[in-house]
Amino acid sequence: MTSIEIGLWVTGGLLVLVVLGMRVGFAAALAGLVGLIWIFWDKKGYDPEQLVWAVTVAVKTAGQVPHGKVSSQALSLIPTFILIGYLAYHAGLTRALFEAAKRWIAWLPGGLAVSTVFATAGFAAVSGASVATAAVFARIAIPEMLAVGYDKRFAAGVVAAGGTLASLIPPSAILVIYAIIVEQDVGKLLLAGFIPGVVSALIYAGLIVGLALTLKNFGPPVTGFTWRQRFASLPPALPIFAVVIIIIFFVYNPFGGDAWGTPTEGGAIGAFIVFLMALWRGMRWRELRDALIETAKLSVMIFTIIWGVLVYVRFLGFADLPGAFADWITALEQPPMMTLIMILLAYAVLGMFMDAIGMLLLTLPVVYPAVMALNGGETVAAADAAFGMSGPMCAIWFGILVVKMAEFCLITPPIGLNCFVVAGVRPELSVQDVFRGVTPFFIADAVTIAVLVAFPAIVLWLPSLA
Amino acid sequence: MAGAASVLDDDSLISRVDLRLERLERVFALISGISVFLLMVLAVVSVTGRHFFNSPLPGYVDWIEMAMPFIAFLGVSYVQRVGGHIRMDMVIGVLKGRALWVAEWLTTFATLLLIVLLIWGTWAHFDRSFDFTAPNWSRDSTIDIGLPLWPAKFVVPVAFFVLALRLALQLWGFGRAFLRGDTHPVAIPLILSAAEIAMAEAEALEGDEK
Amino acid sequence: TEWNASTWGKRRAFTENLEKLAELVAEKTNGEFTINISYGGLSKNTENLDGISIGAFEIAQFCAGYHADKNRAITVLELPFLGVETLEQEVAVSNAVYSHPAVAEEMAQWNAKMLMTSPMPQYNLVGTGDARSSLDSFDGMRVRATGGLGEAFAAVGAVPTSVTSSEAYQAMESGVVDTVAFAPHAHLSFGTINEADWWTANLNPGTVNCPVVVNIDAYESLTDAEREALDSSVPEAIEFYVANYGELLQRWDSVLAEKEVEKVMISEDELARFAEVAGPIHTQWIEENSARGLPAQELFDLVGATLEAAKSGN
Ligand code: NA
Ligand code: NA
Repeated sequence: MTSIEIGLWVTGGLLVLVVLGMRVGFAAALAGLVGLIWIFWDKKGYDPEQLVWAVTVAVKTAGQVPHGKVSSQALSLIPTFILIGYLAYHAGLTRALFEAAKRWIAWLPGGLAVSTVFATAGFAAVSGASVATAAVFARIAIPEMLAVGYDKRFAAGVVAAGGTLASLIPPSAILVIYAIIVEQDVGKLLLAGFIPGVVSALIYAGLIVGLALTLKNFGPPVTGFTWRQRFASLPPALPIFAVVIIIIFFVYNPFGGDAWGTPTEGGAIGAFIVFLMALWRGMRWRELRDALIETAKLSVMIFTIIWGVLVYVRFLGFADLPGAFADWITALEQPPMMTLIMILLAYAVLGMFMDAIGMLLLTLPVVYPAVMALNGGETVAAADAAFGMSGPMCAIWFGILVVKMAEFCLITPPIGLNCFVVAGVRPELSVQDVFRGVTPFFIADAVTIAVLVAFPAIVLWLPSLA
Repeated sequence: MAGAASVLDDDSLISRVDLRLERLERVFALISGISVFLLMVLAVVSVTGRHFFNSPLPGYVDWIEMAMPFIAFLGVSYVQRVGGHIRMDMVIGVLKGRALWVAEWLTTFATLLLIVLLIWGTWAHFDRSFDFTAPNWSRDSTIDIGLPLWPAKFVVPVAFFVLALRLALQLWGFGRAFLRGDTHPVAIPLILSAAEIAMAEAEALEGDEK
Repeated sequence: TEWNASTWGKRRAFTENLEKLAELVAEKTNGEFTINISYGGLSKNTENLDGISIGAFEIAQFCAGYHADKNRAITVLELPFLGVETLEQEVAVSNAVYSHPAVAEEMAQWNAKMLMTSPMPQYNLVGTGDARSSLDSFDGMRVRATGGLGEAFAAVGAVPTSVTSSEAYQAMESGVVDTVAFAPHAHLSFGTINEADWWTANLNPGTVNCPVVVNIDAYESLTDAEREALDSSVPEAIEFYVANYGELLQRWDSVLAEKEVEKVMISEDELARFAEVAGPIHTQWIEENSARGLPAQELFDLVGATLEAAKSGN
């Protein structure tokens, strides 16, 4: 049996385990371990006397991965960004942000919904996780929208869609994970997510205003805030912007000097500021302890998938499956852009049934090298590349596209997690209501993805400055 | 996240063992959380030292690499107890009663098998870095300030050992639920409806946000 | 026989000994004995020795400074200011040390046997921002410099902040370090030269030592013909490596010009002051490793004697 055949069998087995409901990280690690045993035993010609040797070598090889791969400077971003999010709730930053957005822009047609989108975008700048963002704003924003007469389904849809912005606008746990799997610069990827995140928010806002102008009995504008009230709403929300600005300066100095440090350090300084605020707002050991345990839980969930999948990736290294898949993709007789679009569509389908992080971790080790090969290789120059961009830039562009796809999947049935969360938080809403309400945003997301595919500069402009 | 669940308890033996183990797991998870906090403090110290005193923290990267395994592994069993590890519950979500307990028992058994093997593998990984006769018992060290790596490597089999205990307990729990035909058994994570998951998520975020 | 070889990064001057070895061995055995080289797929670069000891792959490259505690004996070759001037001299001192029984014994603990070295020229810094041309300007500088080099920089106030070579570009790019000490090929291969504003042309504080080892069991289970093909290919592979590296060094100046990297020359006085830090570091290395039961003085003297012979004799 060739190692590539072994690779295919094991990958098939992994998919079966995942579908049967085994925890994704453990399923990937088990598949990887079995695959390693197979590869090593194959090397000894399936000699029964060598089975013990094969198992020993495979187990010890797999045993290197959890500690070895997790001990990384780059991965330390993930827990820090998660911690910021939890501390921000305790510091009352979320509500302050919504209040400010409301007073400043609720006078637009569909104003409260637009305010919600911008407040989620602002909160996205401190939160790294979409689901958490949706859960919070479901509590804060939906009641206010219902109070002024919004359709409840639409109000829920706004929050579910707005929540997805958290994974594009930095910080973003999922972008960090992408950077780690594909071994690209984390800072540049985070920067790259910023403009597409803002573009997504603007397209959402444009859609809402358009709907409000065409449909009667949509959400009425909310007016009557004085300028004094507007300015009064700013100070409580300011720390968010302080944190955002600090993180930006740590990733990239807009004034042309050196960045102040690393994204990890920026995240940590941001978390520290939010921590001081929360202390000042009355957080004590009990709340801090809860925040720390919640941070630990979410970090462990993410890291378990990471090391589990990396055991499987180690096996792929021995089986050389990614190389074979890349060869196959590049040999397809069709335009590379066509292949790329088919890959994105495949993600849309897969994402209907899978969790975003699990989906990326499982597929990227094989799909990413194929996409890079399609463009002309890791080191290709822009002039010779199929997509007209250099290898590193293609890695960034594809990353943003894939993450946007993964976010899109958070609001599509049947497993749109953000919609479940919103429905769960609001007793008056069923999951069907939320899915109904979020449907217009599919169009907005499809437009955004098309725009990002057609105009890669939107993604690549900021990182090309850094 | 698909996979959140809740655990019931009563005064049966299995439930008491579950709660005892849970106390240990919670302590481990808290240590993991405190490590995140210390990581944050470390970065603040490093940045202030560098920008204001021209004295960067020696071994900053070494310390981060030492801290990461504590963050990533110590809570692994706590998350398993509450069924928090991410999975696809498309198939398992429609099963009920005994069929559900069989399915859960099988995937849990596969996981236990994996973890037992990984305890062996990660222990070997630790063992290669550990030498009683060497200074600091170290046979593998970090790149700049030469911290011994064995404590960070030791954390992994320890966390996996606790996880193995948890998995064994869950096998007992699922087996018991199957034999008794329970609908709401104790000591094992029960799949919640999507609404219940979301409720739990939101409550976790509640804090003083009112 | 089919062997897997584990190294990292991408194919570059540093891996040409391995590539050439694979080519020669296949040639001499008519394709009976092949070596597949994997660039990072089989192991993390700091764990190649572990992989050899497990038996996951049969041949691997690693650098001593990544994990001093794994390979104390050969860290003598990474001490600063040893006085090595050419790649030929670096090969000579490496071979002498590798043949010492203390090294063989330490490697045997990893089930490994030294096969050959990957000789590297003197390291130099590339940096961003204002050029650092005096020792005083090294104060507070975060430098990626492993092993004895790191100690030398620390002795003049810099702060070694190191990652493996694969991560050096990211560390420099994201500001984790201000400067990176590498050999020229690595500045090219890992892209640090693209980020750099300046390069210290004559600092020459020392280099790192990166051997290629084989798993002992795998080596012993080779047929006589295969083992002969492997052993006899080593000198040729090294010869090819050195010649190839020489060409790269000749191109180096034009690369600097093309990337608009400023060439910083450090004055003789400053260099002499820098070299003064070497004495205490050498003494400390000898004391520390004698205490660990290594024949440290002997290894250190071996380097000196071999170097002298290489400089005068050949
Ligand atoms: Na975000
Ligand atoms: Na979905």
